[in-house]
Amino acid sequence: MAEVKVKVQPPDADPVEIENRIIELCHQFPHGITDQVIQNEMPHIEAQQRAVAINRLLSMGQLDLLRSNTGLLYRIKESQNAGKMKGSDNQEKLVYQIIEDAGNKGIWSRDIRYKSNLPLTEINKILKNLESKKLIKAASKKKVYMLYNLQPDRSVTGGAWYSDQDFESEFVEVLNQQCFKFLQTKAETARESKQNPMIQRNSSFASSHEVWKYICELGISKVELSMEDIETILNTLIYDGKVEMTIIAAKEGTVGSVDGHMKLYRAVNPIIPPTGLVRAPCGLCPVFDDCHEGGEISPSNCIYMTEWLEF
Amino acid sequence: RHRIRTILSNPLFCFSEDGGGEDLAKSGKGNRERLLSTMTQAEIKLCSLLLQEHFGEIVEKIGVHLIRTGSQPLRVIAHDTGTSLDQVKKALCVLIQHNLVIYQVHKRGVVEYEAQCSRVLRMLRYPRYIYTAKTLYSDTGELIVEELLLNGKMAMSAVVKKVADRLTETMEDGKTMDYAEVSNTFVRLADTHFVQRCPLVPATENSDPGPPPPAPTLVINEKDMYLVPKLSLIGKGKRRRSSDEDATGEPKAKRPKHTTDNKEPIPDDGIYWQANLDRFHQHFRDQGIVSAVANRMDQVISKWVGQWLSGIFTYLQMWPLAYSQSQHSRVNSEFQFTFQTQTSSEIVRTMLRMSEITTSSSAPFTQPLSSNEIFRSLPVGYNISKQVLDQYLTLLADDPLEFVGKSGDSGGGMYVINLHKALGSLATATLESVVQERFGSRCARIFRLVLQKKHLEQKQVEDFAMIPAKEAKDMLYKMLSENFISLQEIPKTPDHAPSRTFYLYTVNILSAARMLLHRCYKPFCLSCLNRTVCISCLLSPQSVANLIERRQFETKENKRLLEKSQRVEAIIASMQATGAEEAQLQEIEEMITAPERQQLETLKRNVNKLDACEIQVDETIFLLESYIESTMKRQ
Repeated sequence: MAEVKVKVQPPDADPVEIENRIIELCHQFPHGITDQVIQNEMPHIEAQQRAVAINRLLSMGQLDLLRSNTGLLYRIKESQNAGKMKGSDNQEKLVYQIIEDAGNKGIWSRDIRYKSNLPLTEINKILKNLESKKLIKAASKKKVYMLYNLQPDRSVTGGAWYSDQDFESEFVEVLNQQCFKFLQTKAETARESKQNPMIQRNSSFASSHEVWKYICELGISKVELSMEDIETILNTLIYDGKVEMTIIAAKEGTVGSVDGHMKLYRAVNPIIPPTGLVRAPCGLCPVFDDCHEGGEISPSNCIYMTEWLEF
Repeated sequence: RHRIRTILSNPLFCFSEDGGGEDLAKSGKGNRERLLSTMTQAEIKLCSLLLQEHFGEIVEKIGVHLIRTGSQPLRVIAHDTGTSLDQVKKALCVLIQHNLVIYQVHKRGVVEYEAQCSRVLRMLRYPRYIYTAKTLYSDTGELIVEELLLNGKMAMSAVVKKVADRLTETMEDGKTMDYAEVSNTFVRLADTHFVQRCPLVPATENSDPGPPPPAPTLVINEKDMYLVPKLSLIGKGKRRRSSDEDATGEPKAKRPKHTTDNKEPIPDDGIYWQANLDRFHQHFRDQGIVSAVANRMDQVISKWVGQWLSGIFTYLQMWPLAYSQSQHSRVNSEFQFTFQTQTSSEIVRTMLRMSEITTSSSAPFTQPLSSNEIFRSLPVGYNISKQVLDQYLTLLADDPLEFVGKSGDSGGGMYVINLHKALGSLATATLESVVQERFGSRCARIFRLVLQKKHLEQKQVEDFAMIPAKEAKDMLYKMLSENFISLQEIPKTPDHAPSRTFYLYTVNILSAARMLLHRCYKPFCLSCLNRTVCISCLLSPQSVANLIERRQFETKENKRLLEKSQRVEAIIASMQATGAEEAQLQEIEEMITAPERQQLETLKRNVNKLDACEIQVDETIFLLESYIESTMKRQ
C-alpha cells in the first residue's frame, strides 16, 4: 500500500466526523482500505468507535465490504448504485455484488452460493427479490444470472442459432434456402451471359462476404449475423451436395478477405441422377435384411413388389 | 428382351476321363474345404435363376453345384450331384462354351472344373451390351453381338450368315441383306475391340512323343486377338419359310452346326470369336465419366432444363467411337447445335476416345494428351478455337471434381483423365444417392459431412450439420445399423473406459460400396422370379422348378392364357400366309376374350417394367463394381 500521511487529529471523536474521515480515506484509496489504515489515520479513536462508524457506513450503503488476502477491505461504493440498494439488506447487497462482478458472462446460482456462503433457500429468496426489482435477470437456462441491463454474451446463449437453449431449426432452414437461391440465381445468370468460359465460371462464384451482405439486406434475421455465421450455413449447403467451395488468395484489405484468403461458393448440380437401385422396391425396402427365400418375408411374396407392379 | 435358346454347338474341347481315380476322394474333400467365394446367398440364388432361365435344369444343377463347392473333377461332380456322366459332360460343355466355367489341369493329370460366379452374373448385363452395339453400329451390330452372346463362341462366317438371315427377315419383300455389309460391321467391331478372337489350341510344332495332355491349354497372341481373317464371304441373307420349322416349333439353330444343309466346310474353321466384355465395360465407364462432367459443368442449374439436356445427351452418347470419318460427319451434322452447349463433356469424351486403345482399362490415369493433339481430334465440324479449347482444359483441370489433371506444359499443355478418381467420385455419388432416397436429405447431409471430415464425434456432427442433437443421433444410429457409417473407438486411457473414450463416426467408401453391391442383387432375384413366373411357359417348354405357393394359381392362369395367345397368333399367321379373308382373321382373333386381352396387356407391361428395373439396378451395380475393382488393383 502507498504511504499514508498521518495527520494528527484533535481528541474529540465525533461519530459523524469519524465517518466522514473514513469516507475521505476511501476516496483517497479507491481500491479499498483496511482497518489498519483507518487506525493509523485516527490513532486516538478506539476500536469500538471505529467499528460503529464502519457499520453505519456499510448499512447506509456508502461502503463496500470486501475480503482480501490480508483481511477485510472497505471500499467506497459508487453513488448511483447506492441509491438502488436502499431497502435491501446486506445479504442482498452481497449477492448483487457477486452478480455484478460476473459482468457479461453471468454466474450460476450455485457459484453465487459458494461465493457468498449463504444457504440455498436464502439465495433463492434473494434472487427472486432482486429479479422482481428488475435488478438482475436470468439469462438462457434460467440458472445463469446477470445484471438486467446487460446483453448476454454469445457463448452463454449458444450463438445466433439458439434462443433460450432451443435450437432454431426453422430459422437455419430458411437461411439455408435463401443462401442457396442466391447462389443458384448467380450461377444461372453467369451461364446465360454466354461470355467466354473463364468469365462465366468466375462470375458464377460468390464470396461469403457477398452472401452475408445479401442476407443482411434481406432482413429476415432479427439477430445480427456475422460472416462466420453465414459461412456455417454455407457449409451445410456443401454437405447437402448443392454447393462447392474454393479458397483463393486475396490481398489484405480486400473486402471479405480473412488472413489473406477468401472463400468462394458456387451452386452445382449433382454428378449423377438418383441411382438405379433406388428405383427398385428393394432399394428403399425397410425390411431388406429380413428378406430370405422361403422366409416369411421373401422376394416371391413381396408386397412392395406387387404394389410397384400395379402402379 | 432377348431370349436365349439352349444351343449345343461344336464342343471345342474334349473331356478327359479323370485319371488317378484314387486321388478322387482326396481332391474332392480338399475342394469342399476350400474357402467359398464371398458370394452371398442372394447372388448364388440369382446365378441359379439365370442358369435355369437360359440353359435349363441340368445346367443349372451342375453350375450351382460348382459355384457352391469350388473346383471339382468330372467324376466328383457326377457323384455329388447324382447326375449321369454323360449329362454332366453336356452341361459342362454348355458352361465352358459360354465362358461360365473354366478348367485346369492339376498334378497327376487331374482336370478340375471351376465356375466363374461373377461371369454368370454378367448375363444380367447382356441387354446393355446388345443395346450399346445397336447405338454404335445400328441393327447389324446389335445382332452380331447378340449372336455372339447367345452362342458363347462362333466363327465369323457363321455369324455373318446368321445375322444376314435375321436382318433379311425384317426387311421388305424382295429385299435381302448382303453378306458384305454384315462383314464390314464385323470388321469394325473387331477394330474397335468389341469382339475378339478366342484362345486356340496352339499348333504343335515339335511332335511330342508322349501322350497328349488331358486337356488342352488354349493360347492367343496379343496381336492376333483382333485380326480378322481374310475371308471372301459372298452371299445374301435368306428368308426363313414356314416349312423350315420343325413340327415341334423348335428353331433350326437347335441342331449342331456341322449338320446344316450345306456340307461345305467353313472357310475359317478353328477361328472363333467372342464378345469382349471388358471393352464394353470401358465404354460404360467412359459414358459415366462424360455424363458426370456434363451434369456438373455443362448444364444450367435448373431442373427442367437439366432433364431436357440430359435427354438429348443420352441420345448424343450414341456417337460411334470408330475412327471412320464418314460416320463422324454424319452424326455431327445432326447434333451440332447441341454440341456447343456441351463443350466440357465433349472435350472429355474426345480425350477418352483418344485413350481407348492406348490405355489399359485398369490404369488409374490415361496417357497424357497434349492440347494440340486434342484440338486435332475434336469431331469434324466442331468449331471452337484453340484458345477456347485451352480455356476449357484449364477449367477442367482446376475444377474441384479433379477428373482432369494437368501433367505438363509441352505441346500446349499435357492433360490426363483421372480414371480412378472419377470412379471413386461416381461410387461416392451412388452411395449418397441411396442414403438420400432411403433416409432423407438431412441424413444425406450428415453422411456427406462425415465423409468429408473423415472422423467426427457426435457433438461435432450436430454442430457442423446444424441438426438438433436428438435428430442427429437418430440418423447416425440408423446409418450405423445399415453399415453406411462405422464407429471407431479411440480410448484415452488404457482401461478403455467408455466415459474416457473417443467415439468417432467415419465412412469407409470401399466397405460401404461392397455392402451396397451385395444389396443390389436381391432386386434381380425378385424380378427374375417374377418374370420367370410370367413368361417362362412362353419360351421354354420346361416348367419352372420352384413354383411359389402364392403364385400357383396365377401361374396356371398365365400359362393357359399365354399358350392360348400363342396358338391364336400361330393360326392367324398361317392363315395370313395362305391368304385368308379379313372376316376369318377377325373371328380367330376374337378367340381371345377381352378380359384375357387385358390380362395379357398387364403381363406384358409387368415384364417390361421388370426389364427396365433390372437395367437401372445394373447401372448401380456397374458403378460400384468398377470402383471396387479399380481400388483392389491399386492395393
